Amino acid sequence: MADSHNPQVVVAGEEERVWRAGGLEPMPIRPLPEAPPSIHLLGPTVFLVALGVGMGESYMWPRLVLVFGPEIRWLFLIGVTLQAVVMLEMARYAMATGESIFSGAARVFKPLMWFFFVTAILVYIWPGHLSAGASAFEEITGIPWVVTACVALILVGILFSLASVIYDLLENVLAILIGVLVVGTAVIASIVGSWADLASTLGGMFAFGYLPSEMFSSSWFPIVVGSIAFAGPSGMQQMWYTLHLRESGAGMGAHVPKIRGLRSAKEQGEIPSHGYMFDTDDPAEMAKWRGWRKWVTFDAFLLFWGITMLVTISFTVLAQSAARENPNVKGLIEGGDRSAALEAMSDAFASAGGPVLGSLFFGFIALIGLNATLGLFDSFSRGQADMTYNHIPGAKRFRLSHLYAGFLWGVITFGILILLFGPADGPSGILDILAFLSSFAMGAYCVTLLLVNNTMLPKPIRPKWWSNVIIGFGAVFYLGMLFYSLFRFGVVLD
Amino acid sequence: MRLFRLAQLTFPGLIVGFIAGVLAGGLAAVVGQPTGWALVSALTLGVPLALLGAGYTMLLVQGRVRLGGFAPAALYWLIGFPLARLLHEVLTRFILTGEAALPAEWLGFLAYQGIVSAGFAIGFLWLHERIAPPYWQRLAVHNPDARGVYLKYAEHARIMFEAKQRRRAAIGRKTSSSRKG
Repeated sequence: MADSHNPQVVVAGEEERVWRAGGLEPMPIRPLPEAPPSIHLLGPTVFLVALGVGMGESYMWPRLVLVFGPEIRWLFLIGVTLQAVVMLEMARYAMATGESIFSGAARVFKPLMWFFFVTAILVYIWPGHLSAGASAFEEITGIPWVVTACVALILVGILFSLASVIYDLLENVLAILIGVLVVGTAVIASIVGSWADLASTLGGMFAFGYLPSEMFSSSWFPIVVGSIAFAGPSGMQQMWYTLHLRESGAGMGAHVPKIRGLRSAKEQGEIPSHGYMFDTDDPAEMAKWRGWRKWVTFDAFLLFWGITMLVTISFTVLAQSAARENPNVKGLIEGGDRSAALEAMSDAFASAGGPVLGSLFFGFIALIGLNATLGLFDSFSRGQADMTYNHIPGAKRFRLSHLYAGFLWGVITFGILILLFGPADGPSGILDILAFLSSFAMGAYCVTLLLVNNTMLPKPIRPKWWSNVIIGFGAVFYLGMLFYSLFRFGVVLD
Repeated sequence: MRLFRLAQLTFPGLIVGFIAGVLAGGLAAVVGQPTGWALVSALTLGVPLALLGAGYTMLLVQGRVRLGGFAPAALYWLIGFPLARLLHEVLTRFILTGEAALPAEWLGFLAYQGIVSAGFAIGFLWLHERIAPPYWQRLAVHNPDARGVYLKYAEHARIMFEAKQRRRAAIGRKTSSSRKG
């Protein structure tokens, strides 16, 4: 690396060249692997799609379209595009160093990482997210949702403990589930939708500047802005994506061993306490880097952006046709009672296309719930284990696989206890705090990204100015809207 | 025997198309809906989509479409998906009510199905690319055609890899010569 743009690189005697970033251990220089030769190798984006395509896409946005009209969808376009750029920037640090963004934050300022550690525990240990999918399953089979949720929790734990390499198993399972979801939603939309529904939904995406006055009320403002913020992956999901990139061996992640399941924990390779850097002064290495950037850009725009759009458009078309079939649906959806609204939508489909279609709709809601649960439990445990292993003194006595299993079974046990005896979403007294933390974390990760990518990476691979402007806009948007909503209307984003 | 071996190769497209089509019927069985209704809906959509899926795999095997490319799959389903849905509508109505008729405003119907087909094509390709290469690899032991198509996949990966290497070398030469200049 040239000293002109890289003063922190030192050559330690004749032995090893390293890249010093922040106060933590320096990163040795290693060769960057080749980028995948062809685009049909699907990447770790499946995790982000699995986590991101949730209730926002299948329920919240269709709801907003029914209340404010299809023109409101331009805000969704902005929200998802912003998330695609965040995804590219998260990938920059993870692929260049093989470290998670949490380690990047620790290199800048350690308390920043501890903030994310604590936030993850506070926000993600409550099993409330299981209720939507499990309730939909109850509608089809009659099995009480708490039973389904508890069984699902135990099955997830056993599955991840028995798998030899957790990432490979999960990537395959999620890829099949998402594939089925995508072909399935396309088939359903083709049966229940019409040309007019699709035209208005697509046209609404480009109605830039449309802001209905009813939106600026204490009841709707937090919901609309919350839906923009949570379009695609929300909370800390983008940060976990850096761990999945590393596990898939993307970029310098290839130099870090994969996490193994509990059954084969003994075969776990030694996890280094630092990432690696490649020689950014070598044109051949930089050409490989551009290959990796192209690979992740394809992932971000065709797979992540495209599939998120497709699922939301399909569900919006479904909601519109349900409201046409049965005018009660519109009232129920607008009223905000989620389970009543979903049931009414299912009934509307049953009357339009036969009873099967009504059940099928619930089947898809259950499938979306299952995808999100699988992704969430793995991501949470992976993130907490990574921070614990690398930054808590003495934690290296344990294997990373054991820490992963500890967090996984911890959150599963807590989840089952809460499902049986407590409030699934968390105690009502702290619900607002949890919602606040979830949006605050998104603003905080934008700031973290700007700091990490612009100070901890060698100059040739730092972000371009326009990318910094977009991420800066994200930080101002997430934090600004959160505090505006709090001070103007006295409520947090919904 | 040769025909059987060829048919064996098209299994990935056949199964993806079939799964997409019979989802409705399968779910109906779970919730105890009338079997007749479920079967008709499943078969009238599942069979055409399965046959079309197998057709796509056959084109791939014979080298008529590019491996792993999105555009050929999108074009194929732009025609295939509306056709399958048209058959589904016409046959379901005919079997259940006895009357043979096209859907109302059939041109608008076909145009709408054409647009939705792009979404179907993404999902189809996504599943096909997951299932097909490992399936052919397994089949390659006793099916020479499967070995051929699997090697084609490997060869495709190698060619793309080498092309990238050459381009990279060219960029490297250009960079170093511009530095010297």
